[in-house]
Amino acid sequence: MHQSASTRTLRTIAGWVVVGLFFFPIYFWTSVAFRDAKDIFNWPPIFFDFSPTFKNFEQVFGISLGFGFGNQTAVTPGGGNFYMAPRLLDTIIVASFSTILAIVVATLAAYSLSRMTFRGRHDFVNWVLSTRMMPPVAVAIPMFFIFKQFNLLDTYTGVIVVHGIMNLPLAVLLLKSFFDDIPAEIDESALLDGASRWTIFRRIVLPMAKGGIAATAVLCFIFSWTEFLFVLTLTQTSIKTVPVVSSTFVTSIGTAWGNMAALGAAAIVPAFIVILLVQRHLVRGLTMGSLKQ
Amino acid sequence: MSVAQVKRIAISDSPWPWLMPLIALLVVFTIYPFFYNVWLSFHEFVPRKRSLAFVGFDNWIQLWNDARFWGALGVTFAYFIIALIIEIVLGMAIALLLDAELPGFGALRAVLSLTLVIPPAIAGMMFLLLQDPQFGVVTYVLNSLGILDKGMPILATSSTALAGVLLAEIWQWTPFMVLIFLAGLRSLPAEPYEAAMIDGASSFQMFRRLTLPMMSRVIAVAVLIRGIDLFRVFDYVFVMTSGGPGTATYTVSLYAWQQTFSFLKWGYGATISLTSLVIILVLANVFLRVAKVRW
Repeated sequence: MHQSASTRTLRTIAGWVVVGLFFFPIYFWTSVAFRDAKDIFNWPPIFFDFSPTFKNFEQVFGISLGFGFGNQTAVTPGGGNFYMAPRLLDTIIVASFSTILAIVVATLAAYSLSRMTFRGRHDFVNWVLSTRMMPPVAVAIPMFFIFKQFNLLDTYTGVIVVHGIMNLPLAVLLLKSFFDDIPAEIDESALLDGASRWTIFRRIVLPMAKGGIAATAVLCFIFSWTEFLFVLTLTQTSIKTVPVVSSTFVTSIGTAWGNMAALGAAAIVPAFIVILLVQRHLVRGLTMGSLKQ
Repeated sequence: MSVAQVKRIAISDSPWPWLMPLIALLVVFTIYPFFYNVWLSFHEFVPRKRSLAFVGFDNWIQLWNDARFWGALGVTFAYFIIALIIEIVLGMAIALLLDAELPGFGALRAVLSLTLVIPPAIAGMMFLLLQDPQFGVVTYVLNSLGILDKGMPILATSSTALAGVLLAEIWQWTPFMVLIFLAGLRSLPAEPYEAAMIDGASSFQMFRRLTLPMMSRVIAVAVLIRGIDLFRVFDYVFVMTSGGPGTATYTVSLYAWQQTFSFLKWGYGATISLTSLVIILVLANVFLRVAKVRW
């Protein structure tokens, strides 16, 4: 549409201001990670003018910049253990393996849902979709008791399986939409040439859907990375992911905001990077394959 | 084609071997918990005996008479409706604003996607700090604007606590709507707008008569997906208010979780979560029918 120069300028400014408002909490949280307590607990709040410190990161990750690894055991203000590097590792392990589980199971299912016609296919897809609607709390309570029986509470296996299954509806529907984009004629002509479904799947369809599978994997990873309720319910002490462990910083002598922000910032940055890598497929992923960009 | 070939295609064309792992896992994760919840809802944990005892319909009768449950359901619906409306309206407004090729707008659209990858529990913590009654930025801004009385804690006052939680919710998920709506807007055809321009339609008329109808499916999908998550809200209230002050921010999910794990009312917790499961399935399926969304 034709707009005058002044309208365009106004609109540009408005866009920047609005997005700036949404970005502000991220900026502020990250800046808190680099602050001394006196620059956090100040009235009026300090927006930009503080002297940056790496103390919080040193305490949370045991890393002194320039000095290698610091003394981790000394970091226990308020009685809690603030050394969080192992918790970050837990989060990475859980997110990685649950993503692999979800992707393996979902590619198989999505391929057959995309290519094979059978009675009840539409109902089956709807059933998969409806499992996405289960409130986590309705799953977590029974899971807690099953896990107790099978000694899966507080284990990697337990959390990985639950996170993997939790991501299945998204992964199946999203991958199906990516497979649907690949013309079925390719499969059909290969079938006529005598190739088996399995060969076609492995040799032709999987390589062609690489990008889509990668995007799906990234989203599964992020949803496991950010998940809260299952980890809260199904773990006790030996495994904790970052979202759940944040409450450790709320101690009897006050909240260690600087340390919490340091952990939060360290956990958010990798997620930012991967989400920027899959921008192209983001909307399709967020809508479980229903809308294509 | 030879008989053997036809046979092989027929055999290899069965979807079930491909679907078996999925079905097995989803049964464990959905069907089993469902029936376990049903079974559990007729039992209750007896701490004295350290075991479950059959209690018949006691839990269901208790649920019916439990003012806190109905309160939690009310809070959940209020949260659901307020957040959904604000996120849609704000999301549409921002999407319309950003739907242009102006300096830096590509980067702005990317920046907006950043809020979506922050763990909601950590977003809750962010807004806990921002709304801190003594040091918080939001508190400071509202005080300066004269909207909030000095010294009034947003999250610890029953009239404002839900708004405080909603602020985190809306901040984190409005960009979700913006990105989806933007993708929808960019896929709209140009011809109807050109025709409308020639007819001298105003931009509001074009939005009302062209954009909205053409975007209806996009909006429906966004409402469905966001609505499901809104109804099961847990993370924000858990970290920001734990349901308080009093019961001002108690949601159904939080109430069920606390009954189970804080008060060891295993049977009653299952009864509540089962009820929320049924409500969400009914609402979502009615919506799928009415809005004619298909996957």
